[in-house]
Amino acid sequence: MRYQMLASKLIIHLIVGAGALLMLLPLYWMVVSAFKPLPEIMTVPVTFIPVNATLENFKGLLTETFFARSMLNSTAIALANVVLQVFFCSLAGFAFAKYRFPGREVLFTLVLGTVMIPQYVTLIPNYIVMGRIGWLDTWAPLIIPGIANAFGIFWMRQYIATVPDELLDAARIDGAGEFGTYWRIVVPIIKPGLVTLALFIFSTSWNEFLLPLVYLRSKELYTVQLTMANIFRVQYKFNYHWAMASAILATLPMGILFATLQKQFISGLTLGGLKG
Amino acid sequence: MLSAKWPKLAPYVFISPFFIVFLVFGAFPIAFSGAVSLIDWSGVKMGEFIGFRNYINLIQDPDFVRAVLNTVYLLLLSGPLTIGGGLVLAVLLNSQLLRFKGLFRTIFYLPMAVSLVVSALAFTMLLNKPFGLVNDLIIRQIFNQEPIDFLTNPTLAIPTLTLLIIWRYIGNDLVIMLAGLQSIPSDLYEASRIDGASPFQTFIHITLPLMVPFILFDAILTTVNTFNLFAEPYILFGTEGGANQAGLTTGLLVFRVSFKYFKFGYGAAMAYLLGVVIFALSLLQLRVGQKD
Repeated sequence: MRYQMLASKLIIHLIVGAGALLMLLPLYWMVVSAFKPLPEIMTVPVTFIPVNATLENFKGLLTETFFARSMLNSTAIALANVVLQVFFCSLAGFAFAKYRFPGREVLFTLVLGTVMIPQYVTLIPNYIVMGRIGWLDTWAPLIIPGIANAFGIFWMRQYIATVPDELLDAARIDGAGEFGTYWRIVVPIIKPGLVTLALFIFSTSWNEFLLPLVYLRSKELYTVQLTMANIFRVQYKFNYHWAMASAILATLPMGILFATLQKQFISGLTLGGLKG
Repeated sequence: MLSAKWPKLAPYVFISPFFIVFLVFGAFPIAFSGAVSLIDWSGVKMGEFIGFRNYINLIQDPDFVRAVLNTVYLLLLSGPLTIGGGLVLAVLLNSQLLRFKGLFRTIFYLPMAVSLVVSALAFTMLLNKPFGLVNDLIIRQIFNQEPIDFLTNPTLAIPTLTLLIIWRYIGNDLVIMLAGLQSIPSDLYEASRIDGASPFQTFIHITLPLMVPFILFDAILTTVNTFNLFAEPYILFGTEGGANQAGLTTGLLVFRVSFKYFKFGYGAAMAYLLGVVIFALSLLQLRVGQKD
């Protein structure tokens, strides 16, 4: 019995461990390739550990392509998305969680219903509309349509529902006003929820690919994902060394957030997992 | 006046940004898209009303049929692997025999934090012929076989995409399955252990039946995601979908028709038809989800 237990323990660790190694393999290969000179990348037999490790790929990428500019662009877009969405979603979540008003249920159902609208259907008409209002080749289509979205509102409503009503009533009696109650009482209490939502919004915006591809033409406006795809697919075909270096740098902000805010990050990813 | 009405109006003001944005960039486009799909709209010039001809052309379009068949093939291949794999993995990660649970879970979640473009780039590097890690180290050096042309051989386009999808999305399935396992009362496992059931019997007779709603939920989610797939095939195969269009998926085709050839009317019809399918599946997902 004892031995049988030990054997099952061993088997489970072997299976899960092998799976984990397979998960890490593509990332490992990406990282080591980024530090190899191009001739070494394209050599057979492959080197599992770089022989001529170098930082030249990063140097070339940052000086000879517009990658550095794209990193700044993506950061600006992601921060704008975070600030606007966190504000508008938590404000609407507050209204749905803590006010009773005619039409509340219907309106909330409508909010949730919009989750099911496939991106396909709105893509072409929005492109035509953006063209008419002169927003093509600007960042506006990547920010404005998403400032208040069903997913953020739903998440914030659930979170704000746990705030005790007595606190809100006390604030109102003290004359805090409707917006003051939200800003001074609710926001400080729901900070952990706001951080999780902010992380989720940041990574969604940072990783978005289809919208920038459709809307941006000028290279100075490109996002990181777009520049990466461009470096690899269009402009510098087969420049694997730059592609791998850009993949590392593009993942770095996510990696730093992942390491410092791991708990919130995983619940943020869990949100994403359930959303699909 | 304002002070008396304000508390009653406040919630409407607080939720108004959502509805303003939704009307402009959601509701209006849906209606507009329906109209555009009935028009022969190519390039800059708005064409004439042609009724349902775009839709009729669509089902006779070999590219469209090809993209749908490819996507269904991808779904049939990757769906069972990610859903089944996610379930088995969740059961193993839940086992009391396993140590370092947190570490393992983090590793399986890790690819979800990596962008779609980065993951597709990582796979082109990994599966490259001849100097990718898989081809040289594993296939040639360890198993002494000929390198496999993962990226340009048409027959392998969808299987290669499947490998990438398993890697990138199994964390998603894991999240859902772990949530599902939490909902199973532990005394059921206790009872089955006392009855002397083996872990395999417990899995078949207790875990599996109780996980059916979660498996269904995941299956629908996977279907919707597969029909929406875009960045991965775009990076791996390009807008044409690679040799023989073997990697052409529905997402790729909508993009190509609309934003490469600028056939807005035809693209809108395609998007609408796929949109209706995706919407119906999402509705189904919602019903299944509510039963839990």
